[in-house]
Amino acid sequence: MIRGAPVIATLAVALTGCASSPPLADGLPASAPRVIELVATPFFPQEDYQCGPAALATLLVASGVEVSPADLAPEVYLPERRGSLSLELIGAARRHGRLPYVLATTADEMVEELAAGRPVLVLQNLRVSQLPRWHYAVLIGYDAERNVAVLRSGRERRLEMKWQRFAGSWHRGGRFALTTLRPGDIPGHAEPARFIAAAAGLEAAGQRRAAAAAFDAAIARWPNEPHAWLGRGNVAYADGDRAAAADAWSRAVMLDPHDAAARNNLAELLLEAGCLDESRRQIERASALAAGTSLESTVSESRSKIDATARAAARCQLEDRAWPD
Amino acid sequence: MGIERFRRACVALLSASIVSLGMQAPAVAGVVGTAEAIAARQDDGARALVDATLARADVRAQLEGMGVDPTAIEGRLDALSEAEIAALAGQIEQAPAGGDALAVIGIVFVVLIILELVGVIDIFKKT
Repeated sequence: MIRGAPVIATLAVALTGCASSPPLADGLPASAPRVIELVATPFFPQEDYQCGPAALATLLVASGVEVSPADLAPEVYLPERRGSLSLELIGAARRHGRLPYVLATTADEMVEELAAGRPVLVLQNLRVSQLPRWHYAVLIGYDAERNVAVLRSGRERRLEMKWQRFAGSWHRGGRFALTTLRPGDIPGHAEPARFIAAAAGLEAAGQRRAAAAAFDAAIARWPNEPHAWLGRGNVAYADGDRAAAADAWSRAVMLDPHDAAARNNLAELLLEAGCLDESRRQIERASALAAGTSLESTVSESRSKIDATARAAARCQLEDRAWPD
Repeated sequence: MGIERFRRACVALLSASIVSLGMQAPAVAGVVGTAEAIAARQDDGARALVDATLARADVRAQLEGMGVDPTAIEGRLDALSEAEIAALAGQIEQAPAGGDALAVIGIVFVVLIILELVGVIDIFKKT
């Protein structure tokens, strides 16, 4: 039943795609401005097939990073595909210290991002699904009265598209929309799981300072999210701040006693601190929780290491001698 | 030419050590990254993850085969989590690769030409 769910979801999306999209004014929240255009958004006319680097540079420069499409091309361009994959755009945004945040697959969040002053990178399919022509453009505004989307696209500094045409191309492109956030910014509409996963991406990319700012912001907004604390602890530990890591990981375990990762990391820290009994207690719990998950091998390695240390500590290294009374 | 050989050996050694540095997936041994912790808690977390080292080698080879400068590949992979690299391994060939807006004009033009030649339309003025 669970396996069928994605198929049904895909089918539902595909079916709704057949119905013509409504005009912008019909779907616009009452609180949203009727007209937005981020006129200060920079423009980089794309070279052949280089719309990925151009669109990403547009977003990054708008968020305060000094970068050009030529700098980004070696980070994202796939010569044989004559294009760039969205996952690599995400990776490149991280390399420049920004938090790539993938928006929901409805237009609402795009509108909210524009209202917050952030342009939105979108993947469009400019042809039909069977014969795709993928293209990245940057949505910089809309006009609900005139029913148009305003884009920086290809070699056009200001491209107006009828809203339905834009929405259709975005739908056929798989509804991928991305913003790049300054570390520490959280969109008003952000969902905790998606935002924390995005911050975890910065951590995985080794962008410790940006990741720390993102986790701090997540903790301030959602103080009871265990993975925000786990991430904060991970970044502190990588920075050598063990006291902060210990506090954050303890908090993560208290908030979610069933999280094997937080217990594993806490056990590693306790081992280093020489607290063997506590370390063993944590790793045993972690090991039971990790059984059958993708963390099983990592946790079992930690456990072997901790057990070996405990055995070495318990055994008298000079047991073959006689000692005075 | 002794110096040249020595230089080459140094370069080879250095590249080998850079490559092997890149093989060490997590930044800190023994500590579980948040991305991996999230992946483990998701619905498919129970399914054994593809070996991270294998997936990385796979993607590295694919990127190189796609014409990416080999010296740029490690940097690109380092920006992604293990789960993302595993996802990339299966989709480099098919995933949408945004490229060009210009060819869309091309196909419309081709259709117009065909319609013109067949005689359905007459928009290209002949003198």
